[in-house]
Amino acid sequence: MSAAIETRDLTRRFGRHLAVDRVSLSVPDRAVYGFLGRNGAGKTTTLKMLLGLLRPSAGTARVSGLDVSRDRIGAARKVGALLEAHGFYGNLTGRENLDLTRTLLGLPASEIDRVLEVVEMTDNARRRVSDFSLGMRQRLGLARALLGAPPVLVLDEPTNGLDPDGIADMRRFLKALPDRTGATVLLSSHLLGEIEQTASHIGILHQGRLVLEGELDRLKAELAPEIALRVDDPVRASAVLRTRDLTLSEQGGELIARLRRGEDRDRACAGLNRALVEAGVAVFALAPRARSLEGIYRQVASPAPARPEPEIV
Amino acid sequence: MLAVLSVEVRKLNRSLALLLALAAPSLIGIFVFFNMLRGKAPMPWEMWLGSSTGIWAFFMLPMSVTALTALVAHMEHGPRAWDHLRSLPLPRWRLYAAKAICVLALVAAMSLLNLALTYAAVSAAAAIKPALAPTGDPALVASLTLLGKVWLAGLLMTALQFWTAMRFASFVPALILGIGGTFFAVVATVARAGVFFPWQMPVNMLATEAWRVNTALGLGGGLGLVVLILAVAHLAHREML
Repeated sequence: MSAAIETRDLTRRFGRHLAVDRVSLSVPDRAVYGFLGRNGAGKTTTLKMLLGLLRPSAGTARVSGLDVSRDRIGAARKVGALLEAHGFYGNLTGRENLDLTRTLLGLPASEIDRVLEVVEMTDNARRRVSDFSLGMRQRLGLARALLGAPPVLVLDEPTNGLDPDGIADMRRFLKALPDRTGATVLLSSHLLGEIEQTASHIGILHQGRLVLEGELDRLKAELAPEIALRVDDPVRASAVLRTRDLTLSEQGGELIARLRRGEDRDRACAGLNRALVEAGVAVFALAPRARSLEGIYRQVASPAPARPEPEIV
Repeated sequence: MLAVLSVEVRKLNRSLALLLALAAPSLIGIFVFFNMLRGKAPMPWEMWLGSSTGIWAFFMLPMSVTALTALVAHMEHGPRAWDHLRSLPLPRWRLYAAKAICVLALVAAMSLLNLALTYAAVSAAAAIKPALAPTGDPALVASLTLLGKVWLAGLLMTALQFWTAMRFASFVPALILGIGGTFFAVVATVARAGVFFPWQMPVNMLATEAWRVNTALGLGGGLGLVVLILAVAHLAHREML
């Protein structure tokens, strides 16, 4: 798969502060790429460099093969963006706002009806934007990003301000976008659940550095399996399990046994259960844990916890 | 460039900037109307149109340029529209140049409106009190020429206000500059050095000494154009953090 967006050692300093530190990311063609990170991790700075709004201190950013620093206008032609600040004119209607960007892009007037239909805003577009809810502005922003059907979409927190139905609609819409239009979507968010249900690929930014990147399903599959146990005597159970080849921790009153990568979960469950019962430990519950994006995220981007959870090996 | 210009014009639709463009010349018209009704004897057209142009050049133009540039800039600063505009596939200088042209065109339109409303105010007052009907010829061409010179001499002031309003997201620096400039222009009207002061250059078009007119016109128009080009280049090139 070729890369629709690619950065190499992308770096940006603000004075002495290193906001983005040698980020080399690759967004495959027609992927929905979830760009994750805490506030201040450097996501927006990275997106702004991809859009040519900020100049990198070092490194390169390419969109559809075009170097953003060398050919900003060429690269911008390939991108539609929904930024955190929508930049709509409240004195104008939704349709009039779209028409301004359409004129600047040199597109036919029919484009407005097309994108309004895509985001299901046709009925409301004749109202002034000052009367719009945040969710409506968000959808209008998405409609504006879709003007001209660009091959790459950069969306900064697209579900902000949407109600649950709107979030579900947006999720379905974004997920289907690569198949419907052939577009690649770079989606920045701090909502792990949203990314998990929408993205095919993820990149996690932590303190300006890209700490993890890859296909979401593959990353999940590569994680070591975990088994959660609820027993009557955790101390005795820990002593029993400590003799086995696993890592043990405690979370919310449960023991979590992390197995070796590739180990069969069902066999391990049976073995652990047998060992505990033979040792006289009552087992209330024992089940493999589904590996989630949150688990991946916590592993690579968690801040140091205030009270470290006990790790029993 | 025409597309960017048309976009700038459409942004003014239902905006405060357009309201200001109508309000400022109207205030002068209203003043002239009531001032004429207070009179006891008819005065020549030249006096009414000349005093209207004087008020415009002396006070209302600097204040209007201050408010207009701040409002036009705030149309982008307010909703934080710059990121969207600057990420579009077009040269950024066009965005700023279109805004500058739009401001200059609005100021020119306000100048024309000032003349038209003064003419209408004098005619309306004369209709109410026919004894005060102005004497002589309105000499509209001469008035238009004078207003054109005032507009040109105000170019340096407009360029400085434009850059300040666009450069700073807060409208406070632009207002301080405009109010300060107008204040010193008003309190130091007779100062010889005033001809070199951007906010006094427009009113110098009404001076009787030719060197004052020529100096203010040359500096205001010539240097103003250079400063405006530099302002557009700087705004387009700078990074907005």
